Amino acid sequence: MWRALRVAAALAVAVAAQLPLTEPADAHERRSIGPYQVIVGFLVEPAFAGESNGASIQITDTRTNTPVEGVERTLTVDITAGGRSQALSLPLTTRFGQPGSYVAHFVPTREGGYSFVFKGRIGEQTVNERFESGPGRFNDVQSLAAVQYPDRVPAGADLGARLDAIAATAERTQWIALAAAGLGALALALALLRRRA
Amino acid sequence: MPRRPLLALALAAALAALPSPAAAHANYVSSNPAADARLQRAPQEIRVTFSEPVDPRGSAIDVFRPDGSRVSTSSAAPVDAASISVRLEEIGDGGYLVSWAALSSVDGHTTRGTFAFAVGNAPLPAIPDLGPSSPAPSPAELAGRALSYAGIALGLGVPLFLLLVRPGDVAAARERLLLSLAGALVLAGTGLIVLAQGGGLPDRFAAALALRAAAGAALLAAARAPVALRRELAAGAGLVAALSATLVSHAAASADAAQSALDLVHVVAVSAWLGGIVALAALVLPARAVRDALAAAALGAVVWRFSLLALVAVAAILATGVLRSLRVLLLPQDLVETPYGLALLAKIVLLATAVALGALNLAVLGRRLRLAVAPERAKRGLVRTTSAETALLALAIVATAPLTALAPPAEPSGAAYDSTQHVGGLRLRLLVASARPGRDRYVLRVQEGLRPVSEAQRVVFRFTMVEHDMGESEVVAEQRAPGEYVAQGSNTAMFGTWRVETIVRLPERDDVRTVFSVPVGSDGASAAARVLSLGERTAIAFTDPATPVAGAPFALNVVLVDAKGDPVRGATLTATAISASRTRELRVSDAGNGRYLADVDALEAGAWEIAVTLEGRRAAFPLTVSP
Repeated sequence: MWRALRVAAALAVAVAAQLPLTEPADAHERRSIGPYQVIVGFLVEPAFAGESNGASIQITDTRTNTPVEGVERTLTVDITAGGRSQALSLPLTTRFGQPGSYVAHFVPTREGGYSFVFKGRIGEQTVNERFESGPGRFNDVQSLAAVQYPDRVPAGADLGARLDAIAATAERTQWIALAAAGLGALALALALLRRRA
Repeated sequence: MPRRPLLALALAAALAALPSPAAAHANYVSSNPAADARLQRAPQEIRVTFSEPVDPRGSAIDVFRPDGSRVSTSSAAPVDAASISVRLEEIGDGGYLVSWAALSSVDGHTTRGTFAFAVGNAPLPAIPDLGPSSPAPSPAELAGRALSYAGIALGLGVPLFLLLVRPGDVAAARERLLLSLAGALVLAGTGLIVLAQGGGLPDRFAAALALRAAAGAALLAAARAPVALRRELAAGAGLVAALSATLVSHAAASADAAQSALDLVHVVAVSAWLGGIVALAALVLPARAVRDALAAAALGAVVWRFSLLALVAVAAILATGVLRSLRVLLLPQDLVETPYGLALLAKIVLLATAVALGALNLAVLGRRLRLAVAPERAKRGLVRTTSAETALLALAIVATAPLTALAPPAEPSGAAYDSTQHVGGLRLRLLVASARPGRDRYVLRVQEGLRPVSEAQRVVFRFTMVEHDMGESEVVAEQRAPGEYVAQGSNTAMFGTWRVETIVRLPERDDVRTVFSVPVGSDGASAAARVLSLGERTAIAFTDPATPVAGAPFALNVVLVDAKGDPVRGATLTATAISASRTRELRVSDAGNGRYLADVDALEAGAWEIAVTLEGRRAAFPLTVSP
């Protein structure tokens, strides 16, 4: 009996010890929406540009202190980076083994500030809540460059910007070359005319 | 070329000789109580300090309760040359508005502004206007300045040409006419400025104008003087008139003798060049025929000698212009992103084109004349190029005139911290009201090109401390005026160096982020803290005490941060103290966490320069050691 109790207590301690590891409350924002408490943030913190991640939300009914299930059918999230008006709208999926936890997987391609707008319903509660990354809330997306070792690999967005810049330079060079060729031809023509005269 | 168009062009050229602007403005620098101060006890007086000397007769401070009732009981009284004060009736807890107007003693320009303070726990009243403003000079004032500067250019440049270039015989009547014109322009311009100013003419400004008027009268007298005295007298009068222009310039307002000297050299050089062109075009070219090789060579020699004079003048204009631009411009982009910069750029382009034409005169047309190769054609070309040169310089008037009305980008502000960066196509200027720890006001001015950015969806300031881990805090700014975003908070709550990240969110764009390193300390330390650029690194340097005493030890503190505002540890930093008579290497030790320290046993009293070097990059700041 005592042995069974000791095993049960050890298991309880072990499970309790694991809770902070799975609880995403470190760099997440807590907020009350009606009778529900939500915890919102990136699925993986810190979030790095170019790395798979997700908008996560954990919902608890404060009246019963129980996780709220079934929200994946009634709630969606709009994800926005910076000042873009075009949001990425995604459905939520449940997280295996974590009742009341949901995630919308996506890959943030730019570093900086992101906002998640959760829309729909939780139970009977209508929801339209905006969560903005920042201090005291959840972290901005960071550049991978600071943690890459031994080689630094540019992010896809950076590569795209560099390619755009190279293409623009090539186009300018093309025009300059055409102008130079035109000037050369003009000079040649003038020289020939002068020689004839 | 017919005489009248030539004279008109010459006049236009002389007008273009407007020395760059005397845009002196008395800006708010500090006050007691400070802007947005929260006081435990009510003050008995309000004192405001400006960036240059002010005339108390034309300046005012009025203090009001939010309901509009006045609580100041006296007119503005001088405290020192750049400060004025008013007495207050006994006031209780509450918010108060201070409205000030400052009449610059230097050039008579008036600036206005408002700030607030509160006593006790009362809320700070909203400021009804948008802060200091410098009304543009009136058209009469602009015209007055233009006319008098045109007179200065003619009055100094023409006699300098005749004395230094020695063109030989010139028509005395024309020479007298030009000098008379110069005198008349100086007098008319001065009169217009006095009329535009009305009754409020500050003493110092009035004295400078009186000097200028006297120089104008002397130019008129010189025009009638015997030839033996005429040119020397006119040159002296022109020089005095040029000096009067410097005396009311922004350089003179800075109380920096070197800046005033640069300004005077600039004015003299511009006058020598433009007055010389006018003299060449109006006195020499019409009178010289080039029928034979000898006459052509003689004219070519005049052109050659004038070109040498012009080359020296252009070199002086270039050198003084660059040195002054470094003082009034903050960033290279200022030339295309500020009205002042654009006007300056236009002036530079026009003058550069005029220089190119001058080079054509020197290298091609003048040479042909000297060698008597197609001299008639060369002379016709010379008339054309000098006319084009004068026309270009006439256009420069348009570019130069606004400079008198516009504040340069580097104009002093009342903020304890004032720094500008150019990031993501935006010009971001951060102003922090106070350098003391505690509640502060943070202002971000956002500009894209010439346009204030008023469509930002969100502007935030994020604060982290460099030396200690105090976490990160954030405050959201509100737009107070187009492109001006303001937030208040106690985010910089501790002595040290703060990394202030500004984030501007614009529609359909990535957030624009940049980091400013803001030193926060006691009043003395913050006043002495200097932000030095060392390539990609920034050093915040200050001494403890802020003003070292001769013979007493002091510490030189340097906080080194990278582009993100993070401390740079383990760097090899060197420091040198340089005075007029000696140079001392300072031993710098790594105090950890991006902070570097040099314990200095003692320096002699006087002006020193402290130079900090990192990886070949050097930056310096001045340090005064008191006796």
